[in-house]
Amino acid sequence: MTDTTAFAVTEDELDTLVSIAIRRAEILDDERSPAADEAWHEVATYERRLAAITAPSDIAGGVARVGAVRATLTAGHRAEAERLASVYLAEPELPAERRAAMERVFQEDRDRVAQHFPTLAKSGRLAEVAAWKASAAAQESRVFPIREAA
Amino acid sequence: MQRAGHESPATAAVCHDGLETSAAIEWPPEDLGALEVLDYNRVTEDGAEAVALTYVNVKAGWVVKRRLQRGDHADWLMENGAGSMAVEVSGTIAGDPLGRLGEKKRQVAECSLPIYRLAVVVGFERPSILAGSV
Repeated sequence: MTDTTAFAVTEDELDTLVSIAIRRAEILDDERSPAADEAWHEVATYERRLAAITAPSDIAGGVARVGAVRATLTAGHRAEAERLASVYLAEPELPAERRAAMERVFQEDRDRVAQHFPTLAKSGRLAEVAAWKASAAAQESRVFPIREAA
Repeated sequence: MQRAGHESPATAAVCHDGLETSAAIEWPPEDLGALEVLDYNRVTEDGAEAVALTYVNVKAGWVVKRRLQRGDHADWLMENGAGSMAVEVSGTIAGDPLGRLGEKKRQVAECSLPIYRLAVVVGFERPSILAGSV
């Protein structure tokens, strides 16, 4: 039997954790490491926790919300990224600039995938790439669970 | 700085939005043999960040809030009593720091956050700190 302990982490501590995680994920991305997706998953975990303890109207809160959606998408979880975006976009205090930034995240991802798979993009089959990424991501065991207890 | 042949403290030329001054950069000496085994570009980048973040702290009390993702078009979110700032940092060993500053200013200009935005380029061959706000 495993004991589980819940730790209260402060915003400052999460800022430090997310900073380290982003740096690591970007280095792994640059090196085209297969570990990059897991690293982005870790970033997404910290961004979501930051989003949960900050106001949508704060600069840091808006950054965390867009960051959570972007990192989740980069980790290959499009459906979860879309769910998160719908939650954050439903917050009335989220500034218009952050709403636009969130929409750009999805557009940039579509552009990036189309660049990597030009033939599939030309034939309108990019949805297959998203489905494959989601399926591959679901089969991997995760150190950081994608959904956390509220 | 040390890898570029300088000794601590080194005097850096500073140009911030056209205003010229100078700054002393001091660091604990490192074993150059140890530096050789590290990734060249990464050491340059880390060195530039150390100098740039210290510069903006000394200049106006900015402290690091957190790192930003690349999609935010800036490296760091910083705070001081006056508000928030997005900073993009770059380092150059032997390239043209002024040209690099133009590139970085264009990049940080794409950051859509409604806050101060600043690009900082650190030159190592001829020690320099170039900063430009957008």
